[in-house]
Amino acid sequence: MASFSTNEFKSGLKILMDGDPCTIVENEFVKPGKGQAFNRVKIKNLKTGRIVEKTFKSGDSVEAADVMDLDMEYLYTDGDFYHFMMTDGSFEQHAAETKVVGDVVKWLKEQEIYVITLFNGAPLAVTPPNHIELEVIETDPGLKGDTAQGGSKPAILSTGATVNVPLFIEVGEVLRIDTRTGDYVSRAIKK
Amino acid sequence: MGRPTATINMLEARASLLAKLRSFLEARQSLEVDVPVIATAPASDPWLDSFTVHDPAGFHIGYLLSSPETYLKRLLSEHPYPLHSIGKAYRANEDGPQHAIEFTMLEWYRPTAERPFEEMICEMQDLIETLTEFGRPEVVSYRELFNSVFGLNPHDAEANDLVQFASDLLGSKAAATMDLDSLLNVLFATKVEPHLVNHIVIDFPVIQSALARTGIVDGKSVAKRAELYIGGSEIANGYYELSDVVEQSERFEKDHHRREALHRPILPTDQALLNALKKGLPESYGVALGVDRLLKVVTNAKTLSECMTFTGHL
Repeated sequence: MASFSTNEFKSGLKILMDGDPCTIVENEFVKPGKGQAFNRVKIKNLKTGRIVEKTFKSGDSVEAADVMDLDMEYLYTDGDFYHFMMTDGSFEQHAAETKVVGDVVKWLKEQEIYVITLFNGAPLAVTPPNHIELEVIETDPGLKGDTAQGGSKPAILSTGATVNVPLFIEVGEVLRIDTRTGDYVSRAIKK
Repeated sequence: MGRPTATINMLEARASLLAKLRSFLEARQSLEVDVPVIATAPASDPWLDSFTVHDPAGFHIGYLLSSPETYLKRLLSEHPYPLHSIGKAYRANEDGPQHAIEFTMLEWYRPTAERPFEEMICEMQDLIETLTEFGRPEVVSYRELFNSVFGLNPHDAEANDLVQFASDLLGSKAAATMDLDSLLNVLFATKVEPHLVNHIVIDFPVIQSALARTGIVDGKSVAKRAELYIGGSEIANGYYELSDVVEQSERFEKDHHRREALHRPILPTDQALLNALKKGLPESYGVALGVDRLLKVVTNAKTLSECMTFTGHL
Protein backbone atom coordinates (compact mmCIF):
# COMPACT_ATOMS: atom_id res chain seq x y z
CA MET A 1 0.00 0.00 0.00
CA ALA A 2 1.35 3.42 -0.89
CA SER A 3 1.91 5.90 1.91
CA PHE A 4 2.78 9.55 2.37
CA SER A 5 5.29 11.00 4.80
CA THR A 6 4.31 14.18 6.65
CA ASN A 7 6.78 16.17 4.54
CA GLU A 8 4.70 15.29 1.47
CA PHE A 9 1.53 16.64 3.11
CA LYS A 10 -0.25 19.34 1.15
CA SER A 11 -3.83 20.33 0.70
CA GLY A 12 -5.75 18.02 -1.57
CA LEU A 13 -3.69 14.94 -0.67
CA LYS A 14 -5.91 11.87 -0.19
CA ILE A 15 -5.10 9.76 2.83
CA LEU A 16 -6.66 6.92 4.77
CA MET A 17 -7.67 7.60 8.39
CA ASP A 18 -9.22 4.76 10.41
CA GLY A 19 -10.15 3.14 7.14
CA ASP A 20 -11.99 6.18 5.80
CA PRO A 21 -10.84 8.13 2.76
CA CYS A 22 -9.92 11.69 3.70
CA THR A 23 -8.45 14.72 2.03
CA ILE A 24 -6.01 17.18 3.61
CA VAL A 25 -7.56 20.64 3.80
CA GLU A 26 -4.77 22.44 5.61
CA ASN A 27 -1.29 21.44 6.74
CA GLU A 28 0.82 23.36 9.24
CA PHE A 29 4.39 22.56 10.30
CA VAL A 30 4.85 23.11 14.04
CA LYS A 31 8.23 22.96 15.70
CA PRO A 32 9.32 24.40 19.01
CA GLY A 33 12.94 25.60 18.75
CA LYS A 34 14.19 22.77 20.92
CA GLY A 35 11.56 20.15 20.39
CA GLN A 36 10.24 17.55 18.08
CA ALA A 37 8.45 18.71 14.95
CA PHE A 38 4.76 18.10 14.31
CA ASN A 39 2.31 18.61 11.53
CA ARG A 40 -1.05 20.00 12.52
CA VAL A 41 -3.46 19.00 9.83
CA LYS A 42 -7.10 19.69 9.04
CA ILE A 43 -8.60 16.63 7.42
CA LYS A 44 -11.93 16.23 5.68
CA ASN A 45 -13.51 12.82 5.82
CA LEU A 46 -14.77 12.23 2.30
CA LYS A 47 -17.47 9.83 3.48
CA THR A 48 -19.04 12.03 6.13
CA GLY A 49 -17.84 15.44 4.98
CA ARG A 50 -16.72 16.17 8.55
CA ILE A 51 -13.51 18.14 9.10
CA VAL A 52 -11.29 17.12 11.99
CA GLU A 53 -7.94 18.37 13.27
CA LYS A 54 -5.16 15.87 13.74
CA THR A 55 -1.54 16.14 14.78
CA PHE A 56 1.21 13.96 13.36
CA LYS A 57 4.80 13.58 14.44
CA SER A 58 6.86 14.91 11.55
CA GLY A 59 8.43 12.07 9.65
CA ASP A 60 5.56 9.67 10.36
CA SER A 61 3.69 8.35 7.41
CA VAL A 62 0.06 7.64 6.69
CA GLU A 63 -1.51 5.33 4.19
CA ALA A 64 -2.55 6.83 0.90
CA ALA A 65 -6.19 6.50 0.00
CA ASP A 66 -6.96 5.12 -3.43
CA VAL A 67 -9.24 8.02 -4.32
CA MET A 68 -9.70 9.37 -7.83
CA ASP A 69 -11.88 12.07 -9.28
CA LEU A 70 -13.08 11.10 -12.75
CA ASP A 71 -15.39 12.68 -15.32
CA MET A 72 -18.37 10.48 -16.12
CA GLU A 73 -21.57 10.83 -18.07
CA TYR A 74 -24.84 10.00 -16.33
CA LEU A 75 -26.72 7.24 -18.16
CA TYR A 76 -29.79 6.06 -16.23
CA THR A 77 -31.12 4.69 -12.97
CA ASP A 78 -32.58 1.26 -12.41
CA GLY A 79 -34.17 2.36 -9.16
CA ASP A 80 -31.41 0.99 -6.91
CA PHE A 81 -28.34 2.27 -8.69
CA TYR A 82 -27.37 5.26 -10.77
CA HIS A 83 -25.22 4.34 -13.73
CA PHE A 84 -22.39 6.47 -15.04
CA MET A 85 -19.96 5.96 -17.91
CA MET A 86 -16.38 7.11 -18.30
CA THR A 87 -15.86 9.86 -20.85
CA ASP A 88 -12.36 8.72 -21.82
CA GLY A 89 -13.67 6.45 -24.58
CA SER A 90 -13.33 3.28 -22.49
CA PHE A 91 -17.13 3.02 -22.02
CA GLU A 92 -16.34 1.73 -18.54
CA GLN A 93 -19.43 1.97 -16.35
CA HIS A 94 -19.83 2.58 -12.62
CA ALA A 95 -22.96 2.18 -10.52
CA ALA A 96 -23.48 4.54 -7.59
CA GLU A 97 -25.79 3.68 -4.71
CA THR A 98 -28.65 6.00 -3.78
CA LYS A 99 -26.87 7.12 -0.60
CA VAL A 100 -23.74 7.99 -2.59
CA VAL A 101 -25.73 10.16 -4.98
CA GLY A 102 -27.61 11.75 -2.07
CA ASP A 103 -29.03 15.21 -2.74
CA VAL A 104 -27.31 15.36 -6.11
CA VAL A 105 -30.16 13.20 -7.45
CA LYS A 106 -32.13 16.38 -8.12
CA TRP A 107 -29.41 17.55 -10.53
CA LEU A 108 -29.00 14.28 -12.41
CA LYS A 109 -29.61 14.68 -16.11
CA GLU A 110 -28.89 12.15 -18.79
CA GLN A 111 -25.80 12.85 -20.93
CA GLU A 112 -24.55 15.47 -18.47
CA ILE A 113 -20.95 15.09 -17.19
CA TYR A 114 -20.40 14.65 -13.44
CA VAL A 115 -17.27 14.21 -11.34
CA ILE A 116 -17.39 10.80 -9.72
CA THR A 117 -15.06 10.26 -6.79
CA LEU A 118 -13.96 6.64 -6.70
CA PHE A 119 -12.63 5.09 -3.50
CA ASN A 120 -11.00 1.68 -4.06
CA GLY A 121 -12.72 1.68 -7.42
CA ALA A 122 -16.25 2.25 -6.08
CA PRO A 123 -18.17 5.53 -6.29
CA LEU A 124 -17.89 7.54 -3.08
CA ALA A 125 -19.38 10.85 -4.15
CA VAL A 126 -21.01 12.50 -7.14
CA THR A 127 -20.34 16.17 -7.82
CA PRO A 128 -22.55 17.97 -10.35
CA PRO A 129 -21.21 20.70 -12.63
CA ASN A 130 -21.51 24.15 -11.02
CA HIS A 131 -24.09 25.15 -13.62
CA ILE A 132 -26.63 22.92 -15.28
CA GLU A 133 -29.38 23.59 -17.83
CA LEU A 134 -32.78 22.08 -17.05
CA GLU A 135 -36.26 22.34 -18.50
CA VAL A 136 -39.25 23.69 -16.57
CA ILE A 137 -42.00 21.06 -16.44
CA GLU A 138 -44.38 22.78 -14.07
CA THR A 139 -44.94 26.36 -12.93
CA ASP A 140 -47.73 28.92 -12.70
CA PRO A 141 -48.44 30.69 -15.98
CA GLY A 142 -46.09 33.53 -16.78
CA LEU A 143 -47.22 37.13 -16.54
CA LYS A 144 -47.21 38.71 -20.00
CA GLY A 145 -44.91 41.68 -20.35
CA ASP A 146 -43.50 41.29 -16.87
CA THR A 147 -39.88 40.69 -17.79
CA ALA A 148 -38.10 43.06 -15.47
CA GLN A 149 -40.16 43.24 -12.31
CA GLY A 150 -39.09 41.54 -9.12
CA GLY A 151 -40.93 38.66 -7.53
CA SER A 152 -40.55 34.95 -7.96
CA LYS A 153 -42.48 31.72 -8.02
CA PRO A 154 -41.57 28.06 -7.64
CA ALA A 155 -40.90 25.97 -10.73
CA ILE A 156 -40.43 22.21 -10.98
CA LEU A 157 -37.61 21.15 -13.30
CA SER A 158 -37.19 18.01 -15.38
CA THR A 159 -34.99 16.39 -12.71
CA GLY A 160 -37.60 16.96 -10.00
CA ALA A 161 -35.77 19.88 -8.39
CA THR A 162 -37.85 22.86 -7.32
CA VAL A 163 -36.27 26.28 -7.74
CA ASN A 164 -37.49 29.83 -7.40
CA VAL A 165 -37.70 31.53 -10.78
CA PRO A 166 -38.80 34.98 -11.99
CA LEU A 167 -42.50 35.41 -12.72
CA PHE A 168 -42.03 35.56 -16.50
CA ILE A 169 -40.67 31.99 -16.80
CA GLU A 170 -42.98 29.52 -18.54
CA VAL A 171 -43.28 25.75 -18.83
CA GLY A 172 -40.97 24.34 -21.49
CA GLU A 173 -38.25 26.93 -21.04
CA VAL A 174 -34.70 25.77 -20.33
CA LEU A 175 -33.03 27.47 -17.37
CA ARG A 176 -29.47 27.76 -16.17
CA ILE A 177 -29.23 26.75 -12.49
CA ASP A 178 -26.36 27.05 -10.02
CA THR A 179 -26.18 23.59 -8.41
CA ARG A 180 -24.13 24.83 -5.45
CA THR A 181 -26.88 27.15 -4.25
CA GLY A 182 -29.90 25.80 -6.10
CA ASP A 183 -30.50 29.29 -7.50
CA TYR A 184 -31.87 30.30 -10.88
CA VAL A 185 -29.15 32.06 -12.91
CA SER A 186 -30.70 32.88 -16.26
CA ARG A 187 -32.58 31.51 -19.22
CA ALA A 188 -30.39 29.10 -21.14
CA ILE A 189 -28.81 30.50 -24.25
CA LYS A 190 -30.51 28.88 -27.22
CA LYS A 191 -28.16 26.78 -29.27
CA MET B 1 11.12 32.19 -9.73
CA GLY B 2 14.24 33.83 -8.46
CA ARG B 3 12.68 37.20 -7.77
CA PRO B 4 12.82 38.78 -4.29
CA THR B 5 9.95 37.76 -2.02
CA ALA B 6 9.91 40.90 0.13
CA THR B 7 8.17 44.06 -1.07
CA ILE B 8 10.03 47.36 -0.84
CA ASN B 9 7.99 48.21 2.28
CA MET B 10 9.06 44.96 3.86
CA LEU B 11 12.70 45.55 2.95
CA GLU B 12 12.47 48.94 4.67
CA ALA B 13 10.81 47.43 7.73
CA ARG B 14 13.52 44.78 7.82
CA ALA B 15 16.35 47.29 7.58
CA SER B 16 14.74 49.42 10.24
CA LEU B 17 14.28 46.49 12.63
CA LEU B 18 17.89 45.37 12.17
CA ALA B 19 19.09 48.91 12.84
CA LYS B 20 16.93 49.17 15.95
CA LEU B 21 18.16 45.84 17.31
CA ARG B 22 21.75 46.94 16.78
CA SER B 23 21.28 50.31 18.41
CA PHE B 24 19.45 48.73 21.35
CA LEU B 25 22.42 46.44 22.00
CA GLU B 26 25.08 49.05 21.24
CA ALA B 27 23.47 51.41 23.72
CA ARG B 28 23.97 48.64 26.26
CA GLN B 29 27.68 48.39 25.46
CA SER B 30 27.39 45.14 23.55
CA LEU B 31 30.06 44.38 20.97
CA GLU B 32 28.90 43.08 17.63
CA VAL B 33 30.94 40.12 16.48
CA ASP B 34 30.98 38.38 13.17
CA VAL B 35 31.29 34.61 13.48
CA PRO B 36 31.85 31.88 10.87
CA VAL B 37 28.81 30.21 9.41
CA ILE B 38 30.54 26.82 9.31
CA ALA B 39 31.12 24.98 12.56
CA THR B 40 33.20 21.87 13.19
CA ALA B 41 30.54 20.33 15.41
CA PRO B 42 26.78 20.75 15.16
CA ALA B 43 24.35 21.43 17.99
CA SER B 44 23.65 18.26 19.93
CA ASP B 45 19.89 18.80 20.34
CA PRO B 46 18.17 15.54 19.49
CA TRP B 47 15.54 17.26 17.36
CA LEU B 48 17.77 19.56 15.38
CA ASP B 49 19.13 18.63 11.98
CA SER B 50 22.18 20.50 10.75
CA PHE B 51 23.33 20.75 7.16
CA THR B 52 26.69 19.19 6.51
CA VAL B 53 29.26 20.99 4.38
CA HIS B 54 31.48 19.18 1.91
CA ASP B 55 34.25 20.50 -0.28
CA PRO B 56 34.20 19.87 -4.05
CA ALA B 57 36.17 16.65 -3.59
CA GLY B 58 33.49 15.38 -1.24
CA PHE B 59 35.48 15.77 1.98
CA HIS B 60 33.55 16.68 5.07
CA ILE B 61 34.29 20.26 6.16
CA GLY B 62 31.78 20.87 8.93
CA TYR B 63 28.20 21.94 9.57
CA LEU B 64 26.22 25.07 8.84
CA LEU B 65 25.52 26.87 12.10
CA SER B 66 22.15 26.20 13.63
CA SER B 67 22.96 29.03 16.05
CA PRO B 68 26.15 31.00 16.76
CA GLU B 69 26.15 29.77 20.37
CA THR B 70 29.37 27.78 20.20
CA TYR B 71 31.36 30.68 18.73
CA LEU B 72 29.91 33.28 21.07
CA LYS B 73 30.63 31.16 24.14
CA ARG B 74 34.17 30.53 22.93
CA LEU B 75 34.61 34.28 22.54
CA LEU B 76 33.08 34.89 25.94
CA SER B 77 35.50 32.57 27.68
CA GLU B 78 38.40 34.62 26.24
CA HIS B 79 36.82 38.08 26.42
CA PRO B 80 34.17 38.39 29.09
CA TYR B 81 32.30 41.28 27.48
CA PRO B 82 28.71 41.65 26.31
CA LEU B 83 28.66 40.28 22.77
CA HIS B 84 26.13 39.88 20.02
CA SER B 85 25.98 38.50 16.54
CA ILE B 86 23.41 38.97 13.79
CA GLY B 87 23.69 36.44 11.04
CA LYS B 88 22.23 33.53 9.18
CA ALA B 89 21.43 30.26 10.89
CA TYR B 90 20.43 27.02 9.21
CA ARG B 91 18.21 24.16 10.23
CA ALA B 92 17.51 21.30 7.86
CA ASN B 93 13.98 19.97 7.41
CA GLU B 94 12.35 23.01 8.99
CA ASP B 95 10.04 24.53 6.47
CA GLY B 96 6.60 25.98 7.00
CA PRO B 97 4.66 29.17 7.65
CA GLN B 98 6.79 29.80 10.78
CA HIS B 99 9.98 28.12 9.61
CA ALA B 100 12.66 28.43 6.99
CA ILE B 101 15.81 26.38 6.63
CA GLU B 102 17.87 29.59 6.40
CA PHE B 103 16.92 32.44 8.67
CA THR B 104 18.38 35.44 10.47
CA MET B 105 19.26 35.07 14.10
CA LEU B 106 20.31 37.62 16.65
CA GLU B 107 22.07 36.12 19.60
CA TRP B 108 23.44 38.13 22.48
CA TYR B 109 25.38 37.21 25.61
CA ARG B 110 25.97 39.22 28.71
CA PRO B 111 28.36 38.27 31.48
CA THR B 112 26.90 39.40 34.76
CA ALA B 113 27.37 38.26 38.31
CA GLU B 114 24.21 39.78 39.68
CA ARG B 115 20.95 37.88 39.29
CA PRO B 116 21.61 36.93 35.64
CA PHE B 117 18.24 35.24 35.16
CA GLU B 118 16.22 38.22 36.34
CA GLU B 119 18.41 40.61 34.38
CA MET B 120 17.92 38.56 31.25
CA ILE B 121 14.13 38.60 31.55
CA CYS B 122 14.23 42.33 32.14
CA GLU B 123 16.41 42.91 29.09
CA MET B 124 14.11 40.83 26.90
CA GLN B 125 11.17 42.87 28.17
CA ASP B 126 13.05 46.13 27.57
CA LEU B 127 13.82 45.11 24.02
CA ILE B 128 10.21 44.40 23.11
CA GLU B 129 8.94 47.47 24.93
CA THR B 130 11.49 49.72 23.21
CA LEU B 131 11.41 48.29 19.71
CA THR B 132 7.78 47.34 19.17
CA GLU B 133 4.31 48.59 19.95
CA PHE B 134 3.34 45.46 21.83
CA GLY B 135 4.27 46.83 25.26
CA ARG B 136 6.11 45.06 28.03
CA PRO B 137 5.75 41.26 27.86
CA GLU B 138 4.13 39.60 30.84
CA VAL B 139 6.20 37.02 32.69
CA VAL B 140 4.50 33.72 33.46
CA SER B 141 5.85 30.37 34.57
CA TYR B 142 5.67 27.24 32.47
CA ARG B 143 4.15 25.44 35.45
CA GLU B 144 1.35 27.96 35.84
CA LEU B 145 0.45 27.78 32.13
CA PHE B 146 0.65 24.02 31.91
CA ASN B 147 -1.34 23.59 35.08
CA SER B 148 -4.09 25.94 33.93
CA VAL B 149 -4.62 23.92 30.73
CA PHE B 150 -4.00 20.35 31.87
CA GLY B 151 -4.53 20.57 35.63
CA LEU B 152 -1.20 19.11 36.59
CA ASN B 153 2.28 20.18 37.54
CA PRO B 154 4.60 19.61 34.56
CA HIS B 155 7.61 19.28 36.88
CA ASP B 156 6.02 16.24 38.58
CA ALA B 157 4.42 14.75 35.49
CA GLU B 158 5.50 11.46 34.05
CA ALA B 159 4.94 10.34 30.49
CA ASN B 160 1.99 8.21 31.60
CA ASP B 161 0.14 11.24 32.97
CA LEU B 162 0.35 13.00 29.63
CA VAL B 163 -0.41 10.20 27.19
CA GLN B 164 -4.16 10.68 27.53
CA PHE B 165 -3.94 14.36 26.50
CA ALA B 166 -1.64 13.58 23.60
CA SER B 167 -3.93 10.76 22.47
CA ASP B 168 -6.64 13.30 21.69
CA LEU B 169 -4.21 15.02 19.34
CA LEU B 170 -2.21 12.21 17.83
CA GLY B 171 -4.19 9.06 18.41
CA SER B 172 -3.38 6.61 21.18
CA LYS B 173 -0.92 4.56 19.14
CA ALA B 174 1.37 7.48 18.32
CA ALA B 175 1.04 9.02 21.78
CA ALA B 176 2.09 5.79 23.49
CA THR B 177 5.44 5.79 21.69
CA MET B 178 6.42 9.29 22.84
CA ASP B 179 8.73 10.14 25.68
CA LEU B 180 8.12 12.80 28.33
CA ASP B 181 9.99 15.54 26.47
CA SER B 182 8.06 15.02 23.24
CA LEU B 183 4.74 14.81 25.08
CA LEU B 184 5.42 18.06 26.94
CA ASN B 185 6.47 19.63 23.65
CA VAL B 186 3.44 18.71 21.60
CA LEU B 187 1.01 19.61 24.37
CA PHE B 188 2.66 22.94 25.07
CA ALA B 189 3.06 23.82 21.39
CA THR B 190 -0.53 23.02 20.43
CA LYS B 191 -2.53 23.87 23.55
CA VAL B 192 -0.59 26.62 25.30
CA GLU B 193 1.54 28.54 22.79
CA PRO B 194 -1.36 29.75 20.62
CA HIS B 195 -2.65 31.71 23.65
CA LEU B 196 0.61 33.52 24.37
CA VAL B 197 0.08 37.04 23.06
CA ASN B 198 3.08 38.85 24.47
CA HIS B 199 4.52 36.67 27.19
CA ILE B 200 7.82 35.49 28.53
CA VAL B 201 7.54 31.93 29.77
CA ILE B 202 10.07 31.03 32.47
CA ASP B 203 11.29 27.94 34.35
CA PHE B 204 10.95 25.10 31.88
CA PRO B 205 10.88 21.40 32.70
CA VAL B 206 14.34 20.22 33.60
CA ILE B 207 14.28 17.72 30.73
CA GLN B 208 14.25 20.71 28.37
CA SER B 209 17.32 22.40 29.84
CA ALA B 210 19.48 22.13 26.70
CA LEU B 211 22.38 24.46 27.56
CA ALA B 212 20.63 26.28 30.40
CA ARG B 213 21.34 25.97 34.08
CA THR B 214 18.90 24.32 36.38
CA GLY B 215 17.59 25.84 39.57
CA ILE B 216 15.12 25.03 42.30
CA VAL B 217 11.74 26.79 42.26
CA ASP B 218 9.04 25.81 44.78
CA GLY B 219 11.01 22.68 45.63
CA LYS B 220 11.18 21.52 42.01
CA SER B 221 14.18 21.45 39.75
CA VAL B 222 13.55 23.62 36.67
CA ALA B 223 15.48 24.82 33.61
CA LYS B 224 16.41 28.50 33.90
CA ARG B 225 15.11 29.34 30.45
CA ALA B 226 12.94 32.24 29.39
CA GLU B 227 11.09 32.16 26.10
CA LEU B 228 9.38 35.09 24.50
CA TYR B 229 6.16 34.51 22.58
CA ILE B 230 4.29 37.11 20.56
CA GLY B 231 1.06 36.35 18.77
CA GLY B 232 1.37 32.63 19.55
CA SER B 233 4.80 32.22 18.04
CA GLU B 234 8.16 31.70 19.64
CA ILE B 235 10.32 34.78 19.08
CA ALA B 236 13.27 34.47 21.43
CA ASN B 237 14.81 31.97 23.78
CA GLY B 238 17.00 33.01 26.71
CA TYR B 239 19.24 30.84 28.89
CA TYR B 240 20.97 31.39 32.14
CA GLU B 241 24.00 29.72 30.64
CA LEU B 242 25.39 26.51 31.94
CA SER B 243 29.12 26.95 32.63
CA ASP B 244 29.87 23.68 34.42
CA VAL B 245 31.97 21.65 32.02
CA VAL B 246 31.21 18.34 33.73
CA GLU B 247 27.48 18.85 33.55
CA GLN B 248 27.76 20.10 29.97
CA SER B 249 29.58 17.00 28.81
CA GLU B 250 27.04 14.81 30.63
CA ARG B 251 24.27 16.58 28.74
CA PHE B 252 26.05 16.04 25.45
CA GLU B 253 26.26 12.34 26.38
CA LYS B 254 22.52 12.29 27.10
CA ASP B 255 21.74 13.94 23.78
CA HIS B 256 23.87 11.35 22.01
CA HIS B 257 22.01 8.52 23.71
CA ARG B 258 18.68 10.09 22.93
CA ARG B 259 19.67 10.45 19.29
CA GLU B 260 20.72 6.83 19.28
CA ALA B 261 17.40 5.75 20.79
CA LEU B 262 15.55 7.79 18.18
CA HIS B 263 17.62 6.28 15.37
CA ARG B 264 18.89 9.71 14.38
CA PRO B 265 22.43 10.34 13.13
CA ILE B 266 25.09 10.42 15.84
CA LEU B 267 27.11 13.62 15.73
CA PRO B 268 30.56 14.65 16.89
CA THR B 269 30.79 16.37 20.26
CA ASP B 270 31.50 20.09 20.30
CA GLN B 271 34.91 19.75 21.93
CA ALA B 272 35.75 23.42 21.35
CA LEU B 273 32.76 24.45 23.45
CA LEU B 274 33.77 22.06 26.22
CA ASN B 275 37.30 23.51 26.12
CA ALA B 276 35.86 27.00 26.47
CA LEU B 277 33.84 25.92 29.50
CA LYS B 278 36.94 24.28 30.94
CA LYS B 279 38.83 27.54 30.53
CA GLY B 280 35.93 29.24 32.29
CA LEU B 281 32.74 30.80 31.04
CA PRO B 282 31.75 33.82 33.13
CA GLU B 283 28.37 33.86 34.84
CA SER B 284 26.26 34.95 31.94
CA TYR B 285 23.02 34.76 30.08
CA GLY B 286 22.39 34.43 26.39
CA VAL B 287 19.34 35.12 24.25
CA ALA B 288 18.65 33.96 20.70
CA LEU B 289 16.06 35.89 18.74
CA GLY B 290 14.50 35.02 15.40
CA VAL B 291 14.72 38.29 13.48
CA ASP B 292 12.39 37.16 10.67
CA ARG B 293 9.76 36.05 13.19
CA LEU B 294 9.97 39.33 15.07
CA LEU B 295 9.65 41.18 11.76
CA LYS B 296 6.61 39.06 10.94
CA VAL B 297 4.74 40.02 14.11
CA VAL B 298 5.87 43.64 13.93
CA THR B 299 4.61 44.03 10.35
CA ASN B 300 1.61 41.77 10.97
CA ALA B 301 2.60 39.67 7.97
CA LYS B 302 0.83 36.40 7.23
CA THR B 303 3.84 34.26 6.37
CA LEU B 304 7.48 34.23 7.23
CA SER B 305 8.47 34.07 3.58
CA GLU B 306 7.04 37.51 2.79
CA CYS B 307 9.37 38.90 5.51
CA MET B 308 12.47 37.40 3.94
CA THR B 309 14.39 39.09 1.16
CA PHE B 310 14.51 35.90 -0.87
CA THR B 311 13.03 32.49 -0.17
CA GLY B 312 12.98 29.13 -1.81
CA HIS B 313 16.47 29.48 -3.22
CA LEU B 314 17.86 26.52 -1.33
